[in-house]
Amino acid sequence: MGTSKAALEWHGSTLLVRTVGVVARGCGGPVVVVRAHGQELPALPEDTVVVDDAREGKGPVQGIAAGLGALRGRADVAFVCSTDMPFLHPAFIRHVLGVLGDSEGTGVALPVARGFKQPLAAAYRVSLADAAERLVKEDRLRPAFLFDECVVEQLDDEALKQDQVLAAFDPDLDSVVNVNTPADYQAARARPAPEVTVQLFGTLAKGGGKSGPHAVRAATVGAAADAMGLVLDRHVIAALNGDQITRDGQTPLAAGDTVLFLSADAGG
Amino acid sequence: MPAGGYFGRALVVDAATGTSVTQPLPDEILRAYIGGSGLGAWLLYRLETPGAGALDATAPLAFVFSPLVGTPLTTSAKFAVVAKSPLTGMLTDALASSQFAIAGKLTGHDAIVIRGTAPRLSVLLVDGAGTRLLDARHLSGRTAAETDEELREQLGRGWRMAAIGPAGERGVRYATISHDGRHAGRGGLGAAMGAKNLKAIAVRSAAKVATADPRGVLAAARDLRERSFGPATAKYRELGTLANLLAFNAIATLPTRNFQAAEFEGADRLAGHEPEEAVDGMRRVARSSCASCTIGCEHIYRVGGGKKARVEYENVFALGPMCGVSDPGAVLAASARCDELGIDTISAGGTIAWAMECAQRGLIDVPWLRFGDPAALLRVLDEIGTSGTPLGSLLGEGSRQASRTVGGDSASFAPHVKGLEIPGYEPRTLHAMALGLAVNARGADHNRSGAYEADLSGDLDRLDGGDAHVAAAIETEDRAAIMDSLILCKFLRGVFTDPFGEWAGLLASVTGWDVTAEELRATARRIVLAKRIYNIREGWQPSDDWLPDRLLKEPLTLPSGRVATLTADRLRTMIDAYYQKRGLDHEGRPDPGIAAGLGLD
Repeated sequence: MGTSKAALEWHGSTLLVRTVGVVARGCGGPVVVVRAHGQELPALPEDTVVVDDAREGKGPVQGIAAGLGALRGRADVAFVCSTDMPFLHPAFIRHVLGVLGDSEGTGVALPVARGFKQPLAAAYRVSLADAAERLVKEDRLRPAFLFDECVVEQLDDEALKQDQVLAAFDPDLDSVVNVNTPADYQAARARPAPEVTVQLFGTLAKGGGKSGPHAVRAATVGAAADAMGLVLDRHVIAALNGDQITRDGQTPLAAGDTVLFLSADAGG
Repeated sequence: MPAGGYFGRALVVDAATGTSVTQPLPDEILRAYIGGSGLGAWLLYRLETPGAGALDATAPLAFVFSPLVGTPLTTSAKFAVVAKSPLTGMLTDALASSQFAIAGKLTGHDAIVIRGTAPRLSVLLVDGAGTRLLDARHLSGRTAAETDEELREQLGRGWRMAAIGPAGERGVRYATISHDGRHAGRGGLGAAMGAKNLKAIAVRSAAKVATADPRGVLAAARDLRERSFGPATAKYRELGTLANLLAFNAIATLPTRNFQAAEFEGADRLAGHEPEEAVDGMRRVARSSCASCTIGCEHIYRVGGGKKARVEYENVFALGPMCGVSDPGAVLAASARCDELGIDTISAGGTIAWAMECAQRGLIDVPWLRFGDPAALLRVLDEIGTSGTPLGSLLGEGSRQASRTVGGDSASFAPHVKGLEIPGYEPRTLHAMALGLAVNARGADHNRSGAYEADLSGDLDRLDGGDAHVAAAIETEDRAAIMDSLILCKFLRGVFTDPFGEWAGLLASVTGWDVTAEELRATARRIVLAKRIYNIREGWQPSDDWLPDRLLKEPLTLPSGRVATLTADRLRTMIDAYYQKRGLDHEGRPDPGIAAGLGLD
């Protein structure tokens, strides 16, 4: 690629910031970024945990071991993905994680999407951290070795699209698309931003007919604000899908999201 | 006495005789408690007989002014009414804005404290000639507005009145004290005044008060006025607090049907609309301001050709979604009826919603009292405020006491903290606010704890209460303590970029004190603590710092699909951290010797 994938520009943000934001939305828990020792990363949300890969050049199982290890005592299950998945949808993460939540005996929920197993878009039990570390020490570096250590539930396209939200907003399972070459990146970047719905409240809607809903294309909350002629300052906040409140313009959006812009001076 | 801002004395009136004495207020006490809510807490602690009932003859009812009253500083024409709450049995302090604040202070006193009971329904007159009682039996049953109008005619120019309506005379425990259409609304101060056989208190200016640095005050007033026209107050100026309704509904923060839900399907019908919008709902027809205010948050609405009424988010929430009523005409009529009766809309709505659920569950035999029924809402309001039916009397006690009477599991869904009904902020989706509501001295209150600001700031996860939420709850409680003591309107809060520093500057220019931001932070902590110490003396128990079971056991599902839960464990953890950061013990009590250091002994 000629540059770190993590730092690749993505609609005014970076691929890594987008991925961290989407994973945070999808899992609702702590997000761990595993980096090569000393690797410079774009600025990340404050609560992101960054850990160094103890051993370089050991492939995905080493990264999985480091990430799961960092989550010991903080979570039971984790969604593991690479940084270069610009179309990852929070509904995909929720669905895959939900499979582990529903089945205590399963160690890995492994999507087999678009014809391929997706070990770096899968859910793992945190308790597999020890097994992953051992495999690295044994130089058994393929994810398949880790899958031999536990029960794996494979999720094909049909199984994934049983999730109605995912089927509606990521019908082609673009969540698992990654960018490995400059051409991949250019092609991905050329796609239109996801379509989201925007509604305005309070003084922001004043003037008649401005409240919405408005359909706009925006990859971030900031872009959605721009589309409505708003500036996210101390007087304006955004609520994503009626849930989290944010002023962070880099908060990633996915297809089907609803962004509510409110006056920050809420209250009586 | 300071160089400006104060008279250095309180007037203590015996309502039994209409006579009064002045009590000096030492400089160190004025500086330690400032005025308004803070000075009121000190006065109440010092003047009340420990353990006395809120409606006892000896119970003090204090109208407390502040150093900024009478200056040109915008929103400063405010006063606090402070007493033991007939609803909670703990301290309540309600603030209101009107010319009464200015005329009351310019009687020459920093506070007017009333004790005793008048021999008959009376008006207490206070002016340069002293104090006396006026027979008010002919005003019995009149609304506060009618009383005000009659007294203006009877007394002549220059008098400003604060009066109670029929509910205050009847002892409804959430009755209000009203003046110029504004209300000292929460905690039942109207019942406290009614127990003193006082229909009204009338005040007339007789003195002037200096400021230490008149030019400095004038410059600050100009600056604040300019800032009050900016974006930080746009919501209040352009739409009023009703703007919260649709926004809160969209983020699952609008308590609905007695907290059985946090989104209301009829919210859009209750939202305010511009005059030009052709909708079947509430139309804004006028706007006005409190005395000395440049914001102008008061928005008057009308439905069709019906009555006009002043509308706030809280009265629409309480009488609309909370009771399941989506008929805008009925909500407006109910709101106007509460004003006429002189009752707090939040407590009225909360108590009625609780009763509607009791009826739904068969715990009380009132089949007509159904969620969503506009006629039932209006009928039950009248029963509470005027008619004294068994149902009206039961509900006039508030949801806590009524649930004790009804029994069963009705206490688990009685929507109160310390007996004060919860305002329109859903604690399960606002965890900082949940803590603020639980620990506040006044009970479930959004004015002494504005922790919802943190929940809605984007700086923390509003559904995952923890240390950041505790810090935010403390900070907003401290800020409120100062704003409520200076007194400045909370709607101005957004214009301050360095609140404690700027407030210190204002106080310094009025009083001449070399007060600093650090000193005001210490003052804030002192005021918060003083209220807690008062409550402890009057019977507060650790279990009073808590939320209703429903809010801890029944999760909510947000529009995003995320489930919002506020468990007892999480609330306990936040409360423990709050106690620790406040320097309290694990039960929420301060060191026994600390009262002496606060000037409370």
